Amino acid sequence: MLLILLAPVIGGLVYGFERIIKARMQRRIGPPLLQPFYDFFKLADKRKMIVHSAHAFLGIMHFVSLWFALGVLLLGGDLILVIFLHLLSTALLILAAYSTRSIFSHLGANRTAISILAYEPVLIIIAVSIFMLTGSFDAAAAFQSEQPLLFKMPLAFIALLLVLPIKLKKSPFDVAEAHQELTGGVELEFSGIFYEAIYTAKWLDYVFCYALVYLFAGNDVLLGAGLIVFTFFYLNALDNSTARVSYKQMLRFSLTVSFSLAFINLLINSLT
Amino acid sequence: MKLASYRKKSPWILHYNAGGCNGCDIEILACLSPKYDIERFGMINTGNPKQSDILLVTGPVTKRSRERLVEIYAQIPEPKVVIACGACASTGGVFRGMYNCEGGIDQYIPVDVYVCGCGTRPEQIIDGVVQALAILETKTKELEESVRLNKEALKEESQLNRRNIADEIKPAFI
Repeated sequence: MLLILLAPVIGGLVYGFERIIKARMQRRIGPPLLQPFYDFFKLADKRKMIVHSAHAFLGIMHFVSLWFALGVLLLGGDLILVIFLHLLSTALLILAAYSTRSIFSHLGANRTAISILAYEPVLIIIAVSIFMLTGSFDAAAAFQSEQPLLFKMPLAFIALLLVLPIKLKKSPFDVAEAHQELTGGVELEFSGIFYEAIYTAKWLDYVFCYALVYLFAGNDVLLGAGLIVFTFFYLNALDNSTARVSYKQMLRFSLTVSFSLAFINLLINSLT
Repeated sequence: MKLASYRKKSPWILHYNAGGCNGCDIEILACLSPKYDIERFGMINTGNPKQSDILLVTGPVTKRSRERLVEIYAQIPEPKVVIACGACASTGGVFRGMYNCEGGIDQYIPVDVYVCGCGTRPEQIIDGVVQALAILETKTKELEESVRLNKEALKEESQLNRRNIADEIKPAFI
């Protein structure tokens, strides 16, 4: 419960720590740990500029629905529901991006929609695999399972690791955000206090993704922490060491490699 | 809580090349490199005017780029500061008096800090940004009037010209 309330704060800390780690990997010093919060307070003080009110409202609803999805996941709700709530929050952001006249915003929305197409099937297959093993779609069943799911479905974990960069908009699959090419894509037209909603939603996304990773550890807290730390370093190393691929390559890779890995895993689970 | 004190902790920079030779731009990018690492002050090169605080302009204003310069300036939400980076952006530099450009960006938008040099050293750019941050902290959220909106463009030799319009409204900023 406390974790849900503090999720934005935790996500902000994760983001700040990530920026330090990324800088250290490039032999830089990096910003202070609380940098995301400084950004947050600064953005609150900017003059408010909106494109139109529906755009700003959809941005805030993106944040709210993402927090709700995270809450359902952490309370042990239905995994399918969680995945579709997350889809809803992204869809709201895409709608917001389409409602402006900026061509960069439209391009970003197109690419975000394509990246949904890339990661969503894999997540659903993973949820179905968890159902095959635990007999329930509830996240609580996965959190409480005696034997960690990681050892029963290692291929699904690899598939998850391959789609997480798409979800978190990290290199090599960061076409949706594409810094300096689309300059943020969907979040382009947000500014000031309304950009804060999008910026904080990014922190929530971190917590969401690490909660998904934690699903694989069952009731083993140590293993869960280890998996999260491993995923953290894996994501940052991947982000620093790879270049952006085009959306076609991303889609092809995700739907052939990640999807078939998850699917083979599902087959093995359902046969045994 | 004083929110204004957080401005200097997270300045987001928008970098615009108003037709320069790319020398100063290389030096700006050098500031991001491990040697100078301006991210340790929380600075990010955003590339998005709607989310940035500092406009870093290089190059003399060519007739092609001046409309975009004013447009970009108008899109940055207040408080904002403008840094003229390099000799060209400050005065026109070696391009001053040429048929295709103007002498410096301060004819179009109000400039807070001038950074000299051709091209500027990364140390000078960082120093300029630090001085700009002190100015940023004293600025208010009030709407700064866009220079462009104040005067109709002159039609001069079949081209639109907005030369010297900054002079007329400068007293409003000082």
